[in-house]
Amino acid sequence: MNMSKTAAWAIGLSLCAGLEARAGDDPLPAVRFEDQRFEPSELAVPAGAPFQLRVVNGKSEAVEFESFELNRERVVQPGEEVVVYLPALAPGTYRFFDDFHKDAGEGRITAR
Amino acid sequence: MRLRILAAIALALGAAQAVRFEESNPPVEGDVHPPPDVETGLRSACYDCHSNETRWPWYSSLAPISWLVYRDVSEGRRRLNFSRWSDYLADPGTRTEKLEQIRKLVVLGDMPPWYYSAVHPSSRWTDLQRDEVLHWVDAEIAASPATP
Repeated sequence: MNMSKTAAWAIGLSLCAGLEARAGDDPLPAVRFEDQRFEPSELAVPAGAPFQLRVVNGKSEAVEFESFELNRERVVQPGEEVVVYLPALAPGTYRFFDDFHKDAGEGRITAR
Repeated sequence: MRLRILAAIALALGAAQAVRFEESNPPVEGDVHPPPDVETGLRSACYDCHSNETRWPWYSSLAPISWLVYRDVSEGRRRLNFSRWSDYLADPGTRTEKLEQIRKLVVLGDMPPWYYSAVHPSSRWTDLQRDEVLHWVDAEIAASPATP
């Protein structure tokens, strides 16, 4: 009985460790909005492959990630994050901004 | 004096015609497909600025009105383009966002703008048309998949 409990704990712990390692290797590119700017403001992605972009709102008020060139628009509540699905991009630079704070700096995604 | 003012205005209007913008309708990439009654409503009130199927009116070639028309169409297409609706489907969160904005603007009566309705009487919806559009928007929002 004790042996099986120990084995169950061991399996559980190794699963948790595996999940943590996966989270640490998060493949999604991300931008965080804080202090009136996106960080990083420049992001490079491979051209020709669909990807997902994690947008994190580090502010205490809602922000709106918007890009006319990428045809995307997402409201992100304070302290939350969203995943934006993007198609394969042609090589080039695509701007994005916070439509709720137009005075804030804009960001760029460069597809290479 | 009056003649000089009129001549100056005519000269300015003439010079303004030199600043032209291209009246383009890019290809439709993936149109929205609402029920027919709703589509009729959207086409009559929204499509001139929010699609790639703009019916460019005769005065859109006449500066300075043409500048305002060009600005409205460019900005309208950037904000919401029914001809690129299928691209919104690839990001369900963006699609829901667009639908919620349509709902808000229709409820507030902010779209179409008053000056557009003034020269396009067919863009004025009846209460029934408005309700049909809102019903469609609500159904689409309800059917939207959850987004992370």
